[in-house]
Amino acid sequence: MAYYSGLSETLRMTFVQIMILSTIAIVIFLYGMISTLQKWGSGVTGYALEPQVGQKGSAIRFLKTWWSQVTEVARHGHGKPILEVLILDILFQRRILKRSTFRWFMHFCIFAGWMSLFSLSGMMFAVEMTEKLGLMLPFTPAEFRDILSFPNYVFGYILLIGVLIAIVRRLFVTEVRQVSIMYDWILLAGVFIITISGFIADGIRTDIIWGFGLNQASAPPAALFHSIISLLFCIAYVPYSKYIHVIATPLAILANKGGE
Amino acid sequence: MAKRTPSIDTKNLTAVQLMELDSCTRCGECVKWCPTYAATDGKPGLAPRDKILRWRQYMNKSYGIKAKLFGPQEIPQSELEEFKDDVHSCTTCGICGTVCESGINTVELWEALRANLVKKGIGPYGKQNMFPKLIGQYHNPYLLDQKDRLAWVPDDVKIEDKSDLVYFTGCTAGYKQLTLAFATSRVLNKLGIKFAMLGEDEWCCGSALIRTGQAHVNGMVPLQVAKHNVEAIKKMGAKKVLFACAGCFRTAKIDWPRLLGEELPFEVVHITEFLEDLIKQGKIKWEKSIDKTITYHDPCHLGRHVGVYDAPRYVLSHIPGVKFVEMDRIKEFQRCCGAGGGVKAGIPDLAEGIAQSRVKDALETKADLLSSACPFCKRNLMDGRDSMKADIDVEDIIELVAQALGLKLD
Repeated sequence: MAYYSGLSETLRMTFVQIMILSTIAIVIFLYGMISTLQKWGSGVTGYALEPQVGQKGSAIRFLKTWWSQVTEVARHGHGKPILEVLILDILFQRRILKRSTFRWFMHFCIFAGWMSLFSLSGMMFAVEMTEKLGLMLPFTPAEFRDILSFPNYVFGYILLIGVLIAIVRRLFVTEVRQVSIMYDWILLAGVFIITISGFIADGIRTDIIWGFGLNQASAPPAALFHSIISLLFCIAYVPYSKYIHVIATPLAILANKGGE
Repeated sequence: MAKRTPSIDTKNLTAVQLMELDSCTRCGECVKWCPTYAATDGKPGLAPRDKILRWRQYMNKSYGIKAKLFGPQEIPQSELEEFKDDVHSCTTCGICGTVCESGINTVELWEALRANLVKKGIGPYGKQNMFPKLIGQYHNPYLLDQKDRLAWVPDDVKIEDKSDLVYFTGCTAGYKQLTLAFATSRVLNKLGIKFAMLGEDEWCCGSALIRTGQAHVNGMVPLQVAKHNVEAIKKMGAKKVLFACAGCFRTAKIDWPRLLGEELPFEVVHITEFLEDLIKQGKIKWEKSIDKTITYHDPCHLGRHVGVYDAPRYVLSHIPGVKFVEMDRIKEFQRCCGAGGGVKAGIPDLAEGIAQSRVKDALETKADLLSSACPFCKRNLMDGRDSMKADIDVEDIIELVAQALGLKLD
């Protein structure tokens, strides 16, 4: 099975090549994630404690400490039930909504768009794997890709709206621009490049809106660029950048039972 | 060549707190609300977001992936000293945690960072380093004689030798702001409520040490005082302990059980909660009208830290003649008075600057009187008012209750 993406129209990526690239991204992610968990796990397990002499950071220690905090009874009376926290504070992002409807809209567009596209890509991958394993499905991977085409557009545009608001805000709101550091810019640039490259790669292939009149011969390299940049920013780079908040923030909100 | 060691360590910092550093999205909400940042006209280092960023960078330099591969990167001592100054300039009011979109428990984080640095020999700030000696040796932070714990008790006040109810005076009310102690004890007597006091057996609650990151100094003084006070209260046979000081109340309610590793064998109640119950039961017969417009400042240790917001308002609004008005920033979004977290002792000018902001909030309501429910808040708000020469009275709720019951305060 060949993909649209490739170095040229004739040199298309194969399933195996994409799998190799994905595996590399996942290995980089896992190495970073384990290192990050070990960094977190260099902390102590409870109030006012000290690490033992020579003790190294441990991912298991972090997970145990986190879980014990999630399950302990809060003394300050701010704690909320875990299901409420999961739905309202993590999925619906209530804490951002409480502070600013505008920023909530922006972040929720990015969150919903990003996560949905990630899930749709995961579903596509599952269908391809199913076919590789020789299992019968009522549709071929190509047909399934067409089925996903509409939701991909919808969530792509939702993501784009969020990203554009974020960029405009960071560029033109003085108080935000002045305190922005590379840590913030890389995150935003990554999401922006992925989103735009996805629209352009699809636009060149289908010659609709985002093709900008470019030669269809450039569709495979454009798609390849989008695939690689997505693997890089969506997976590999997460533990090494501000993208880590995608993992750490829900964990913090859960540990603090929804926060104060 | 000897292997480089990290410039920082993780003492007192839990694994979850280290994760919280990475969960900060730098949204800036904490900066908008921080009273210390505002009072210093936006000194960048005081922004909670900036403190989190710096410690995250220190962690990455010491324990991050690059440090793992190439060895830890040195953090200059001067940088850590500057960080110490900034982290000790915080009143630990907790507004940054309330508005934090990532739900970070910032108060615990600041206290852990302080303790971590103190253990490294960096900090605390200024006179704060006197607390361990004073509280450890004298059992109060004012260098006063423990035998004088009950010296304030006037002849007309009746105290039981043993009782179900103990009034824990606190060092500030018992030694410095006697009107609060007079008011509390006389109100209880007037209402026919029998209570005992610990007298010489009442030791400082330990709040000043915990808040300034010195809980471990001199052999864990806060643990010693918690043990001592709990034992003394148990000996009195108390089932309920009354606190009129928000700082002592928070420490007894949250810190003592945590230090001792067990639940307390008695109920910890703030005087405003106690009075609210009595009013609801119709047990308070007011004798005088206080014809004033009064606003209320939520002490951080009573409100945000523990969640007692309604009881003080209930009491105030039931005092005859009181026209109760709210300030713009109230309850969980209240602006700190500036006294907490050791700032009053360590950086009094900063404490006064923050207090001025809060007094301005009160003046905007056109209130005659700014009330609170904490001797520390009262002291600092009065200092702020005096420095501004503002025309507004500052009194504790218990003093107002005493006046409305026809009791004298001297």
